[in-house]
Amino acid sequence: MAMRMDDLGAGGGGGLARERVGGAELLRLLTWLSPSFPVGAFAYSHGLEQAIHEGLIHDRESLRLWLEDLISLGSGWNDAVLLAEAWRAARVKDSAALRDLAELAEALAGGRERHMETMLQGEAFLRAAAPWTGVAEPAPLAYPLALGETAARAGLPLEAVLTAYLHGFAANLLQGAVRLIPLGQSDALAILAALEAPLLAASARALRSSLEDLGSSTFLSDLIALRHETLYSRVFRS
Amino acid sequence: MIVAHPEAPARPAPQRAEGVLRLALKQEAGRTRPDRVYQEGCAKVRLVQGPLGATEAEPILINSSGGLTGGDRFSVEIELGPGAEAMASTQACERIYRASAGEVEIRNRLRLGPGARLDWLPQETILFDGAALSRSLEADLAPDSEFLAVEAILFGRKAMGESLTHATLRDRWRIRQGGALLHAEDLRLEGPVSEILARASMLKGGAALATILHVGRRAESLLEPLRGILGAQGGASFWRGRLLARLTAPDGLALRRRLEPALTLLRGGRPLSRLWRM
Repeated sequence: MAMRMDDLGAGGGGGLARERVGGAELLRLLTWLSPSFPVGAFAYSHGLEQAIHEGLIHDRESLRLWLEDLISLGSGWNDAVLLAEAWRAARVKDSAALRDLAELAEALAGGRERHMETMLQGEAFLRAAAPWTGVAEPAPLAYPLALGETAARAGLPLEAVLTAYLHGFAANLLQGAVRLIPLGQSDALAILAALEAPLLAASARALRSSLEDLGSSTFLSDLIALRHETLYSRVFRS
Repeated sequence: MIVAHPEAPARPAPQRAEGVLRLALKQEAGRTRPDRVYQEGCAKVRLVQGPLGATEAEPILINSSGGLTGGDRFSVEIELGPGAEAMASTQACERIYRASAGEVEIRNRLRLGPGARLDWLPQETILFDGAALSRSLEADLAPDSEFLAVEAILFGRKAMGESLTHATLRDRWRIRQGGALLHAEDLRLEGPVSEILARASMLKGGAALATILHVGRRAESLLEPLRGILGAQGGASFWRGRLLARLTAPDGLALRRRLEPALTLLRGGRPLSRLWRM
């Protein structure tokens, strides 16, 4: 399908969502999305370990394309849609919508390890964010929702949060994959540079998305993630 | 505007097809029988008597339009009363032809009462070049109902020399158990599908895929045997009360060769409908 007409309009993402980020908001964004913020992302490969094991990802170009697909048309895109929806619902304190979203995000995690990956990171994020939120014993919540809700309550603008989330998602998988293939650091950085345009495009699209925009094309990536459960010698938990 | 295309067969009738089927089944004296049947337009159902001693009903869904195109609508509702058992399949593969405008809408709604079992086993959906399909599967299960569902999709028919370059597909599943959302799927393909499907993360050039979901008492114990059947082009997982499998294949025949034993396993060894067996 072609681009939707409302992608071209000026509406949708106005107001707070497009505000420039600065001061305390910038600091929080940097802290919460830093690789050293203890969500434990480094333990998960989102199925990439299996894809590398089976030769589906084997060099710089195949890794770049896989990551681009996840962000633009796959599970990374779905995460961005869910994050945006959670951010909006939290802004207007719609707790019923947040409950439905929590259920949907869990039901959409398409396998045992994918479910563990998003739920354990969500829980770890909320626990680590306790100094800012004051919530010491958070309820279980998928990671993109945990971030979306927390960011909305802290007044962080949605587009910046989306970009930071997708960047963190891609950069974490990239770091794991370059060790497994293996690729050098210069290859990793070249991939990160090449992912800038698709990352920005996906966060701009997610800014104007609704739950109707959920949907992934990365069928083999989702299938491979199931096969990871039986991988004999593994470094990652997913 | 109608675009002529050498490879995609045109549906003969120009008017839009619409079909509505509502079927309610109930358990009576150890057998499952029709309670209410409503058929409208191109949707029909044939109820096959199972073999002697069989407890399940075998509704076979029929789309008498011979295929669907943009603007067509097909809706199926099946409700199983307490303890009812059924295996629903389709008489033929669902063909989705080139759409000149709009998309095909297929809505499937299933409701299972306490202790009911439904195996939702439609034959493959075939997308032809230029097809646009939006399909949803909604199922409401009681906490103790047993459920098996498959959706298999073929992108063109390679063996017939029919290739597919562009299409739109949205396939949405929402499976609820005791009112709570248990499982969700959102498959979405848009635009230059042959290019997209060629990618390693999508189908790596394959032309067929299937998703299977099973909820039931023995589901967890079937994970290992199911993996054995799926082999290297499939994956399966059991978590939080459901067994899920995904598989791909280079074509429809190769897909069916593994789907048939996989579905038979998940049916506890009960044979599939004759229409499924090769």
